[in-house]
Amino acid sequence: MGALGNGTRGLAGGTDLVPLLRDGLVAADRLVDLRRVIPSGIDGTAIGAGTTLAELEADPQIPDALREACRLAASPQLRNMGTIGGNLLQATRCWYWRLNYPCRLHGGDVCHAREGQHREHAIFANDYCASAHPSDVAAALLALDATVETTRAAGPLAGLYRLPDDHDRNLVDLGADELITRIHYERPEQSVYLKAMDRKRWAFALVGVAAARYDDGVRLGLAGVAPIPWRLASLDDLEQATPLPGTAYKLELARALGRRAIAAVGG
Amino acid sequence: MLHAAVVRSPHAHARVRALDLSRAREAPGVRAVLAPGDCDALDETAEFEGRAVVAVAAETFGQARAAAELVEVEWEELEPLLDPEEAVRRGSLVGEPRRYERGGYERGLAEADAVVEAEYRTQTLNHNPLETHQCVCEWRGDGLDVYISTQYIWGVRDDVAAAFGLPPDKVRVICEYMGGGFGAKNGAGGYVTLAAELARRSGRPVRLALTRREENVGGGNRNATIQRVTAAAKADGTLTALGGEFICSLGWGGWLASTAGPMQLLHACENVRTVEYGAKLNLPAMAAFRAPGFVEGTWALECLLDKLAAELGLDPLELRRRNYANVDTMDGRPYSAKELLECYRRAEPHWERRHEVRARSDATWKRGVGLASQIWYGGGGPPSYAWVRVGSDGRANVVTAMQDIGTGTRTAMAQIAAEELGIRLERVQVQVGDSSRGPFASISGGSSTLPSMGPAVRAAAADAARQILEIAEQRFEREDGTLSLRGGEIVSPDGTTWPLEEITGLLEDGQILGKGARGPNPAGMRVLTFGVQVAEVAVDVETGEVVVERIYAVHDVGRVINPLGARSQIEGGIIQAMGHTFSEARLDDPHRGTVLTKTLDAYKLPTIADVPEIVCELIDKPDAQLTNLGSKGLGEPPIIPTAAAIANAIRDATGADVTSLPITREEILAALREARERERVGAPSA
Ligand SMILES: Cc1cc2nc3c(=O)[nH]c(=O)nc-3n(C[C@H](O)[C@H](O)[C@H](O)COP(=O)(O)OP(=O)(O)OC[C@H]3O[C@@H](n4cnc5c(N)ncnc54)[C@H](O)[C@@H]3O)c2cc1C
Ligand code: SF4
Repeated sequence: MGALGNGTRGLAGGTDLVPLLRDGLVAADRLVDLRRVIPSGIDGTAIGAGTTLAELEADPQIPDALREACRLAASPQLRNMGTIGGNLLQATRCWYWRLNYPCRLHGGDVCHAREGQHREHAIFANDYCASAHPSDVAAALLALDATVETTRAAGPLAGLYRLPDDHDRNLVDLGADELITRIHYERPEQSVYLKAMDRKRWAFALVGVAAARYDDGVRLGLAGVAPIPWRLASLDDLEQATPLPGTAYKLELARALGRRAIAAVGG
Repeated sequence: MLHAAVVRSPHAHARVRALDLSRAREAPGVRAVLAPGDCDALDETAEFEGRAVVAVAAETFGQARAAAELVEVEWEELEPLLDPEEAVRRGSLVGEPRRYERGGYERGLAEADAVVEAEYRTQTLNHNPLETHQCVCEWRGDGLDVYISTQYIWGVRDDVAAAFGLPPDKVRVICEYMGGGFGAKNGAGGYVTLAAELARRSGRPVRLALTRREENVGGGNRNATIQRVTAAAKADGTLTALGGEFICSLGWGGWLASTAGPMQLLHACENVRTVEYGAKLNLPAMAAFRAPGFVEGTWALECLLDKLAAELGLDPLELRRRNYANVDTMDGRPYSAKELLECYRRAEPHWERRHEVRARSDATWKRGVGLASQIWYGGGGPPSYAWVRVGSDGRANVVTAMQDIGTGTRTAMAQIAAEELGIRLERVQVQVGDSSRGPFASISGGSSTLPSMGPAVRAAAADAARQILEIAEQRFEREDGTLSLRGGEIVSPDGTTWPLEEITGLLEDGQILGKGARGPNPAGMRVLTFGVQVAEVAVDVETGEVVVERIYAVHDVGRVINPLGARSQIEGGIIQAMGHTFSEARLDDPHRGTVLTKTLDAYKLPTIADVPEIVCELIDKPDAQLTNLGSKGLGEPPIIPTAAAIANAIRDATGADVTSLPITREEILAALREARERERVGAPSA
C-alpha cells in the first residue's frame, strides 16, 4: 500500500478510474488492484470498502436509504463492478471537467459551467466550482451518520470532502497513499432515499435526498446539489441555496423530495 | 489493414495559424498523413467544431490516435455565430427562406371566433446509432471497394466516384448489415473520402470509424427549431387560418427540412401562411433524422390544436374530425388512399379511456390522456430494380443491390417473392448489399424501402412465374395463361396439380431469370401515410416526474407485409420518441458553440425503464392505386405524433402547457407553476 501515490493508483471496480485514464483525466504508470487488499462484505453496521453496490442493494440488513441509493445508481453492470469505496471517491460528472476544459477544478481560473451550460449543476457552495456531487451513496451515508475508516484514521464521512479553493482544487481530503477500508453507519429507525433523474434509470441525480430518523430527529443528506455531498440540518436550510439561472428548478425538487422523504420516515 | 484517426477543430469557429506534422509523420506505425490541400475533406478554416484538419493512417488504431495527438495545430479563434434568431436577422441562412401561402391568411384570422398563438421549441438531437459512421476503403487497381455502414449503397457509390473522378461503376459499395442510421447515413460524407485517400496513398486498405465522441459532434443531428404558430377557428371548430414562422438551426450546412409540412398538409384549412428559415450557424450541420421537419412541426401543430380545442371547449378528437381533409390540402389532388378517419374511429375507445384514467388521479399524481394525429410521405417511387432467379430445385433467389438497415427488409422481400411464386418462405433467399452484385435500388430513407423495392421484387417474381408457367403450359399442353403457382405447385383450373420442380427440374443447370422494375406512382394523386397516437400519462405535480403509462398507436400504411416487423417499427419509433420527448438533447456551450454531451452518460437515450406499454394497430388495407403491392413505408410515421400526444396528455392531466422539448423537470415545473398561476388569477373569487 505504501507503493500508492507517485504515479501508482489504486483500482477497485474500475468503473470510474478506467474511463478517467482513457480520457487522460488521470495519469497513472501503474495500477494496484485494491480488491485484494481492501475488506469487502457486510458485518453488522460495518461495510467493507470493497463491497459492491450490487451486494449492498440486495442485503436486507442494510438500511433502506442506502439500499435504494445503490439500487437507483448507475446500471446493473456498473453496480456489479462498482464498490462503495470507489463510489465515494468518484470524480465529478461536470461536462466541462470531463472534456478537459481548463476550468478551476483542473487548476484554471474560470468555472465554465457558471457562465455556460449548467442545468445539472449545484445550488449550494457553487461560487468557485459549480459542480454537483454525483454520489447517491454518499448522500445516503450522510443521512446515516456514517464514519469512514481509512488506513490512517477514522472520522465522519463529511470530513472526507472539502470545497475547492485556489490553494487546493481537490474535493476529497485523502492522502495519495491512504485507502478507505470500512464505512460504519448508525442504524436508523427508518430511512429513505428519493432521486429525481432525467430518465427512469441509469442517470445521475438531478437531486437526491436521503432521510434517516433517529431518536434525536431526522438527518438529511443530498446528492446533486453541491460540489460535495451535502448535509441539511432541516429543510429550512434550503433557503440558503444560491441557485444559478439554470439550476433554480433543483431547489424546487429538493423541497418536494425533502418534504416527502421526511414524511416517509415519519419525521 | 490500416486504421485512421482524424485531427479535428476543437473550436466552433477558427483558422489554422500554424500546422506542424513532423512529429506525427515520424510516429510509430504511421503510413500516411493528409493535411489541408491533400484532400477536399480537410480544411484550414473550421466553421464548426469537429471540422477535419488532418488525417492519419497507421498500423493500429492506437498508433493512429497517438500520431494524431502529435499533430501540432495553432488555432486562431474566431467569433462564432450561435443564435438562430440573430442569424436570421443577419441573413446568415442556408438557402432562401421558404414561403408558402394559400387562401387569405389575414381574412381567415378576421373570420375566426377564436385565435390561439404559441411559441414552441425543439432541441438538437443526435442519431447515436449503435454503430457509428464507419467504412473500410480498399483500392483494387483503378477501382475502389468501399465497405460501409450506409442507408444508400448507390448514393455512396456516386458520391465517392465524384470525389475521385471515377466512372461510378469503378466504385463497389458493400453493406451486408449495419447498426442503425436513422437518416444520418444517407450518403458518403467526408470521412469516406479521407479513408479512400489514405488508402490510395498507403496502398493498403484503411478503416475509418468515428468514435462515439466524433459521432455526437459530426454524425449529423435533428436541428433545433423555434416555431411561432397561430391557429384560428370558428366556434364550431372549422379552421379558418393556420400560420407559422419556423426558425431551424441547421448549423453550417445541411438543408431545410419541411417543419411547416404538417401545418400545410395535415388538416383541412383554406388559409395557410408559413415561412421557414434555415439559420446558418457555427455548429455541426444537420442531417435527415427519421421524419425530419415533420417530427418537430407536428409537435407544435398538434399541441396548438389542443390549445385551440380548449379555447373553443371542443373535444380534441372531434376538432380534428371536423377539419378532416378529403383531398390534398395543397393542390386538391385526390389521395391514392387515406384511412385517417378509420384511424380516428379505432382510436376512439382508447381516447374514451380518459375518464377512467383521470379518475385514477390523486393529490400528487395527476393522470390524463392526449392524442395527436400524423401525416407523412412514405409512398416510395421509381427507379428500383430486382432480379429473381429460380433454379432447378424450385428455390428462388432475390438479387438486388439494396441495403437492409435493420428494418427486416430481407424478410419482407422474401415474403413478397414467396407469395408471387406460390412457394414457402424458406425456399426464398435474398441477396442484398453489394453494388456490383445486383441492380440499382432505392435509398432507405423517407420510409421508402418497402414501397420502392417491394414492387420491383414482386414484378421480378411475377416475371419468373410467367416464364415457369409458359414452359408448363407447353409441356402439359394447356392454353396460355390458364395455369398458376400456388402452394409450391403448378395448378390448373380443373384441379390438376404438378409439383413446381417438375418444370424447374427440366432446367438442370439452366435458370429462370425474372426481372422487375418499380413502376411510377399513380398520376394525379397524392400518396401519404397517416396515423393517430393516444398517450396516457401520470404527472407528479410536486417533482415534475412524468410516467407515460400507455401509448396506443394506429397507423395507415396500406398493406402490411410483415406484421411483426411492422410492429417493431412502431415500437422502435415510439421508444425513440420517448428519448426525444424527455431526456435527449445535445447541449452546446452557449459562448463557444462546442458540444458538451459527447458521451452516452451525458446524452441520455431512453432506457427500457422509460418504455411505456405500447398497443399497436395497423389498418392493413392495401392502397389499391399504389403499385402492384399497395404498401407504403412505416419507418418514420410512428415517431411523428408521440411527443405531441404526450404533451397533450400532460395538459389534460394538469392544465400545464409545455412548449419546449425535451420535457425536462425544469420545463414541466415551470409549466405547472404557470398553470397554477393562471388558475389563481382566473379563478372566480368565491
Ligand atoms: C455511466 C455511469 C453512471 C453512473 N451512475 C451513478 C449514479 O447514478 N449514482 C452514483 O452514485 N454513482 C454512479 N456512478 C458511479 C459508480 O457508482 C462508481 O463509478 C463506482 O461506484 C466506483 O466504484 P469502483 O470500485 O468502480 O471505483 P474505481 O473506478 O475503481 O475507483 C474510483 C476512484 O476511487 C479510488 N478508490 C477506489 N477504492 C478506493 C479505496 N478503497 N480507497 C481509496 N481509494 C479508492 C480509485 O483510486 C479511483 O480514484 C456511475 C458511473 C458510471 C460510469
Ligand atoms: S463546475 Fe467545477 S468542474 Fe465544472 S467547469 Fe466549473 S470549476 Fe470546472
